[in-house]
Amino acid sequence: MNNTTIRSIHRSRHSWARTRKTLLDILWYVVVTFLALCVMVPFIWMIVTSLKGQNEIFTYPPTWIPQDWQWKNYVDVWQEAPFGRYFLNSTFVALMVTVGQLTSCILAGFAFARMEFKGKNFMFLLFLSTTMISSQVTLVPSYLIMRSLNWIDHYQALIVPFLANAFGVFMIRQSFRSVPREMEEAAKLDGCGRLRFLVQIMLPLCKPILASQALFAFMGNWNSYLWPLIVTNQDDMRTLQIGLRYFVSGEGGTKWGLYMAAAVLVSLPVIIIYFLVQKTFVESMASTGLKDI
Amino acid sequence: MMKFKFSFIFILLITMLLSACGGGNETGGGGGSIDKEGNITLEFWYALGGDSGEAVKELVARFNESQTGITVIGTYQGDYTTAMAKVYSAITGDTVPNVAQLGGAPLLGTSGAILSMEEIMSADESFDPAVIRTAFWDYNTAGGEIWSMPFNNSVPILYYNKDLFSAAGVDPNSPPQNLDELLTIAQALTISSEASGGTTQWGLNTRPDTHWYLSTLILENGGQIVNEDETEMLYNSPEAVEMLQLWSDWVNTYKVMPINQHEEALTDFLAGKLGMLIGSTSMARSIKEQATFDVGAVMFPAVGDERQVPLGGGSLVIFKNGDQRLVDASWEFVKFMVSRDSSIFLTSQTGYIPIYADAMDWDEVAGLVAENPLRQAGFDSLPNTVSIPVFSALGNSDLALQKAVEQVELGAATPQEALDAAKTSVDHAIETQFSTE
Repeated sequence: MNNTTIRSIHRSRHSWARTRKTLLDILWYVVVTFLALCVMVPFIWMIVTSLKGQNEIFTYPPTWIPQDWQWKNYVDVWQEAPFGRYFLNSTFVALMVTVGQLTSCILAGFAFARMEFKGKNFMFLLFLSTTMISSQVTLVPSYLIMRSLNWIDHYQALIVPFLANAFGVFMIRQSFRSVPREMEEAAKLDGCGRLRFLVQIMLPLCKPILASQALFAFMGNWNSYLWPLIVTNQDDMRTLQIGLRYFVSGEGGTKWGLYMAAAVLVSLPVIIIYFLVQKTFVESMASTGLKDI
Repeated sequence: MMKFKFSFIFILLITMLLSACGGGNETGGGGGSIDKEGNITLEFWYALGGDSGEAVKELVARFNESQTGITVIGTYQGDYTTAMAKVYSAITGDTVPNVAQLGGAPLLGTSGAILSMEEIMSADESFDPAVIRTAFWDYNTAGGEIWSMPFNNSVPILYYNKDLFSAAGVDPNSPPQNLDELLTIAQALTISSEASGGTTQWGLNTRPDTHWYLSTLILENGGQIVNEDETEMLYNSPEAVEMLQLWSDWVNTYKVMPINQHEEALTDFLAGKLGMLIGSTSMARSIKEQATFDVGAVMFPAVGDERQVPLGGGSLVIFKNGDQRLVDASWEFVKFMVSRDSSIFLTSQTGYIPIYADAMDWDEVAGLVAENPLRQAGFDSLPNTVSIPVFSALGNSDLALQKAVEQVELGAATPQEALDAAKTSVDHAIETQFSTE
């Protein structure tokens, strides 16, 4: 066998490998596109429906492009309920809860991960056990607490009960534990205090988990319905999810076009936020530090 | 330095939270308030959304304009289930409103939080209970006492697709009047073929509140739901079993009704894939607006000649209050909400049926039929309206009946077995959860 033959064999092998790679890439993109479509269809359907008139919504076969564009639905939504106020309330409450929850979870997570104190493990288990109690069970007792604090119809009732979150503490503790102890010792040697170590070294290292915890807190609060409904009586204090529900009627008479227009408005901020923190969020999902409990 | 900054931010955060909203009005011993000039503000909670919610809002606005001295603030509190959860929280926390519109309202009578509507009514000579149909009063009675005021009520009727009737060679102007005709027409409407992979068009289906429609059949067949003492379920009787057997035959023998697809029934009907839909009159307006075909509606099919349609819907209750002036104002508001004009308005904006005994003679009601012929079926049903006794375990009973229907449709139990099981579970619930001893 001479050199030329060997080279040509090499070349053909090489080009076969490249073709294979391209084929796999194409297949991969087909699969990913399909999955992306599956996720997107409900959103697209929501937007399409929000632009349809009442008599077009249930037509069969379904239409993907509205025959008669009803931009009016969006105007009507703003007129039928004080959505501006709801937006303000939801945004304020969700932001406060996110900031507050993150602060408390970081501090508690740090204590559980890095500090030694009596009854630490017991306290931590006690914390975790609260995640097993469903919110329905605590609904009335929590309501009574709000009532005795005179917080009904006040922002405090919407915010304060959510400032602590056991799952968040757990997540953040786990990720703090994955930071090498040597780092803390090195920082200490250089005269760095605990709080400074937490803020300047720990937090930047655990950014992905903090971002995802923030997103969970924000979305969870943005989407909550029953609690805000129970603790508020005035329209002025209500949040978007309650406004959304108002367009639905179990006994007929649901205004689907308006309902979907409102749904678009309500889900938009969450979608935008997701896009903004998407990268860090995905990172944290891939590297959730569940080892070494 | 860092430590200082951090705690500063933390304190700032807490301060912001606590000062986020100051003020707000104080209420004690029931909702509502009276200012120095004697102007009354009432709190009113309602559980209707969509078109019905809009109608309620408009009625509240009309009441506020109709007089000076009383201002009602109406707030939507979620659907019947959520609103009831909210009311129970409010009762334990003593933050009840003055008036509420709720489903299953008379059962609140046992909570001790509401006033007897019967007592309030009898103290007011200007209000004559006889103008309202007896069945509506029965619907608001629990333990022999009228606790609530009938407000938005509906009965089951049959909607049908006239275009599909014509296509199947059935006269679109002679819809089924009884169960035999119902089955014959349902068979004519059902289209199925091996080639297209099963049934492409169904003859008949009902909305998801199957317990209501099965109850209607049981009553029409001479059966009963509960005994007079409200301690024992009676729906494993031969009359009831016969009706559930018939239901089973629709699904499993004649295959005119899909198995356990009640959630999709309305969508299928509006998409023109279902010939006949059993549902509430409350949908008369929305179905008319949403359908792209010619729709008809007719009374719920009779069993033989027997027609009995049990009422559904919500009612108004007045909560106890430390201040008699607030109670009086609440009663004024309730009277306004069920006045002749309000009743006509509510019916015109929704599919609810008028509560007045002589409503059929009103010119306005004839006008409403002209505007939407689907309403006729509900109005025709008025003389046959009845009420299923409102007893403590009614919620359990509804769920037990729904489960029985589901089991029979899926072939998991015979009608007798399913109804026996339903009876046993509800009897047990009455004995253990609701017994007063």
